[in-house]
Order: sequence, then C-alpha cells, then structure tokens
Amino acid sequence: MGTGGLKYLNYSKKQKNKDGLYALLFVLPALLPLLVFWVWPILRSFEISFTDWDYMSPTYNYVGIDNYLSLLKNAQFYKVLKNTFVFTIGSTLPSIILGLLLALLLNRNIKGLGIYRAVLFSPWITPMVAVSIVWSWVFEPRVGLGNFVLSSLGLGKIEWTHSTSTAMLSVLLVTNWKSIGWTMVFYMDALNKIPQSLKEAAVLDGITFWPNLTKIILPLVSPTTFFLFMTSVISALQAYDQIQVLTQGGPAGATRTLLYYYYQEAYQAFNVGRATAVAMILLVITALLSLIQTSASRKWVYYQ
Amino acid sequence: MKIKKRVNHLLIHIFFISFSTVVAFPFFWMVSNSIKTKDEIWSFPPVLLPKVPQWVNYTDAFRGADFGRYMFNSTFTSLCITLIIIANSAMMAYAFSQLNFRGKNLLFALVLCTYMLPSAATYVPSYIILAKLKMLDSYQGLIISSCVSVLGIFLSRQAFMQIDKDFIESAKIDGANHWRILWRILFPMTRTTFVTLGILTFIGSYNSYLWPSLIIKSKKLFTVTMGLNSFFMSEGAYGLKWGAIMAACTIITVPLLILFFICQKWIIEGVSVDSGTKG
Repeated sequence: MGTGGLKYLNYSKKQKNKDGLYALLFVLPALLPLLVFWVWPILRSFEISFTDWDYMSPTYNYVGIDNYLSLLKNAQFYKVLKNTFVFTIGSTLPSIILGLLLALLLNRNIKGLGIYRAVLFSPWITPMVAVSIVWSWVFEPRVGLGNFVLSSLGLGKIEWTHSTSTAMLSVLLVTNWKSIGWTMVFYMDALNKIPQSLKEAAVLDGITFWPNLTKIILPLVSPTTFFLFMTSVISALQAYDQIQVLTQGGPAGATRTLLYYYYQEAYQAFNVGRATAVAMILLVITALLSLIQTSASRKWVYYQ
Repeated sequence: MKIKKRVNHLLIHIFFISFSTVVAFPFFWMVSNSIKTKDEIWSFPPVLLPKVPQWVNYTDAFRGADFGRYMFNSTFTSLCITLIIIANSAMMAYAFSQLNFRGKNLLFALVLCTYMLPSAATYVPSYIILAKLKMLDSYQGLIISSCVSVLGIFLSRQAFMQIDKDFIESAKIDGANHWRILWRILFPMTRTTFVTLGILTFIGSYNSYLWPSLIIKSKKLFTVTMGLNSFFMSEGAYGLKWGAIMAACTIITVPLLILFFICQKWIIEGVSVDSGTKG
C-alpha cells in the first residue's frame, strides 16, 4: 500500500468523525421521542408488570411473577385470548380475500371504474369512532337497518351487538367494511405491475381462470399478500375504537380482546401491574407473530 | 365478440354499482337520519328520506358540543405532528443512508425493533413522563408524545437509497453541506414519498382516539373523536337523540369525505404505490 492509500485512510477516518457529529444532529430529532416515548416506556412497563401498583398510591411492592401467574390461572384470560384470535383472523382473512377478488374484477381497461375504487376506499379515511357510532344505529335491534335488511330477505331479526353470539360478528363486519378498500388498492397496484407478457402468455396457453389465479397471479402478488397480512394482524391486535363504541368489550366479555382487556384493567380497575403484564403478553405475541410470518414468508413469498 | 365484451362490461358495472351502493350506504344512512324527525328515525320499516329535512338536529348537535373547536384541535395537532414527523424522519433517514457513524447498525436495529410493538405497552409510563413534564392535558403533550414514526423513517430511507449517488457527490464537490443536500436536493427529489407519508400520518393522527383520550381531560382541548364519543355517550343517556348524534357524525365525516373525493386519485395512488412492497 502506497502513501496514497494511507492518505485516503486518514482522510476517511477524519471524515467519519465529522460525519459522526452530523449524524448525531440528524438523528436526535427522531431518536429523542423514540427513546422517551417508546423504548424507555416499554422497559418501564416490563418493570411495572412485576408490581402491584394501582396508579394512585405513590408506592408499590414488587410481587414477582404474580401478575402473570394470576392471568394464567384466570379462565377469563383464556376467553380474552380466544377472542383476540377470532378477531385477528376474522378481520384479516375476509378483507384480504375480498380485496383480492375485487381488485381482480376492477383491474381492467373499462371506462369509469375509477369511481368504484374511490367509493370502496372511502370508509378507510373516516374516523373509526364516527363510523362505529353510525353502525351502532344500523345494529339497533328493533328498528335498525340491519334487521330491516334481514327481515326483507326473509331471515329472522338478530340482536347484533346485544347478544353474545353475534356481537363479535357485528364488530368484525364494521372492521372489514372499513379495511376492504385498503387491501383492494394494494392488490390493484400489485396486479398492475404483473408484466403484460405474462398475462398474454396465459391467454395464449388457454389457461382458464382458476389455474391462472393459483399458478400465476397468487405467486406474483404474494409480496403484497405478505405485507397486508402483517399490517392487518398488527392493527387487529391493536383494535380499540370500534370495540369501545359498539360493545365496550361486552356483552359478557364476548368482544373483549387483549388490548381491550388491558384498557379495562389499567383505566377502569386500576390494576396497573396486571394491565402491564397483559401489555407484555401482547408484545410477546406480536413479536412471535412477526417472527413466524417473516420466516414462513421465505417459503411462500415470491419476489421477482 | 364485440357484443360479448359489451355484456361483460355491463355486468361488471352492475356488480360494482350494487357493491359500492352497499358499501356507501352507511354514509347515506348517516346523512338521511341526521335530518329526520324522531318519529321517522324510530319507524319500522325505516323510511329512506324525511318528508321535511330537520336541520334543527344540527343546531342541537352544535349546542350540545363545540364541534368547531374539536375540529380545530384535531387539525392543528395533526398538522404539527405531520410536519414534525416529515422533518425528523427525513433527517434520520439521511443519517442512515448518507452518513457513516459509529453504532449505525445498532441504531437501525433498535428502530427496526420498535416498528411492530403495540403502543399499549407504552401508555402507562408515557403518561407518567408527560405528567412529570407538566404536559398532561395540553396540545404540546399530545404532539411531542406522537411525533415519531418508524414507518416514516423506513419510507424515507428507502426513497433516499434509490437516488443516484453521483447527484450527491457532485453537490458535495460544489460545496453543499449535509443540511443543504438533504433539503435542497434529496427532499425535493423524493417529495412524492413525503406527500404519502404526510397523508398517512395526518389521517392516522386525526382519527386516533385511545391515546388522546388517556391524556386529555379538559373539554376545550378534546379532539374530534373524543368530542364525538363523549357527545354520543351523553346524548345516549338522555333519551337517545339519534338525530343530533347522526348530525354530529355528519359534521365530522362529510368534510373528510369531500376532501377525499377531491384528491382521491392522488391519495389512493400515493398510499398503494409508495408505502407498498418495494422489497
């Protein structure tokens, strides 16, 4: 190595130090709130989950893993886990499948289809609190629109959010109604990116709808499916607004998910220790799901 | 062949007209119930439209709660949050994509880890921090506790990495410093990404409910969603004034829908193309 190389090395080391100062300045505006309102609180929640703090008193005791044990011994907690599972699947799969089907239908060169895309997407931009209030009126058992539709179809009236057997279904209906346009536009974009030559080849080969879908389209849109699956599962695990407006977790805990249970324990029962334990379990579940999905995606996601 | 194609097109239109009607019907129902009399609201089978529009429901809604104020609160705090997030995401993304510094990979791993964490795990301690900063129940508290977006950092980093290095090198030779390179060169070149980020952040923040409802207590600082839900709860308790409740929902929702339909092409394409899957 000649002197030229050495000079370059010195220069780059100096450059790196100078960059370091700049980097600090550029990183701080985002890093500060990230540390203060994300990283530190999560560590602190972890600590609080081992205490019996009640949100009011200035002191608390460390109780080891009691909060976790009492959750695991509680039958209610397993119901909450089951509800969370049902809600997550029920708000993810229908909107992904329907979103793809709608995108397939909509993704063609016909004049005037753009307006449908806008209409179907529009619920996504409105506040969940507002539209849930509207839906709670649709679900009114005596005179609501929902039961009018059912009875004009010759079906019996149901109790919607007022019955343990249909409350979850009602909340899921609203959730999917709001997110279907969201999944649809992502699939429309993915379908647009499929090379024309591939589509034409499929037509020439006389491939009919079903093999075309499973052999060509599904693999080609799999990165989108993966992305939508991840984001939908994560937002399902954090769903709160529609449950708060429509059912408050009821009736009889039929729509109480992990996040809603956390809210009730922390802000209604003031069992902050136990509530943060629930939050930690939610965190572990989220982390595990992302790990599983990411490793599973290596098998079925096809990146071009 | 041509006829078959026409029939096909017609069928697709018929399908989407009916499906869109079903999807949009709750919005129509909201507006129509907001101008019905109490008797019309409670009649079964339901009536589609009122005989005489009852605008008094709107007066009732505005008398019951200060929705103008709530809309201002939500718009103001969401705008501040959006602008701060655009600025600090761009800056951090610049450091990640253009600068070399010690601990860069570690820092990126840290950011990556927080991406998917449930925010519920932060609520109680964040509340305590805001209380210590004396920022509970204030605009500042809501803004500073919401002013970082990991998605924003990812999106901007991705956009910056796609820019030709030669551009940046030639700017450096011309004597531009990092600040100038970021805001005069990179930022304008990737503005569509930031428009998308801005739209997503603004909508998310404007519509958010749980966190604001935990830290804001005084009525004059209520966000739209808080004001609406508290109006819903109180009117629900006093003999279910559904007309006024639907009027309140219309006041909040319809301006958003109009705004959306004016720039829908832009919003939808920004969202689906930019924040989607770029690998």
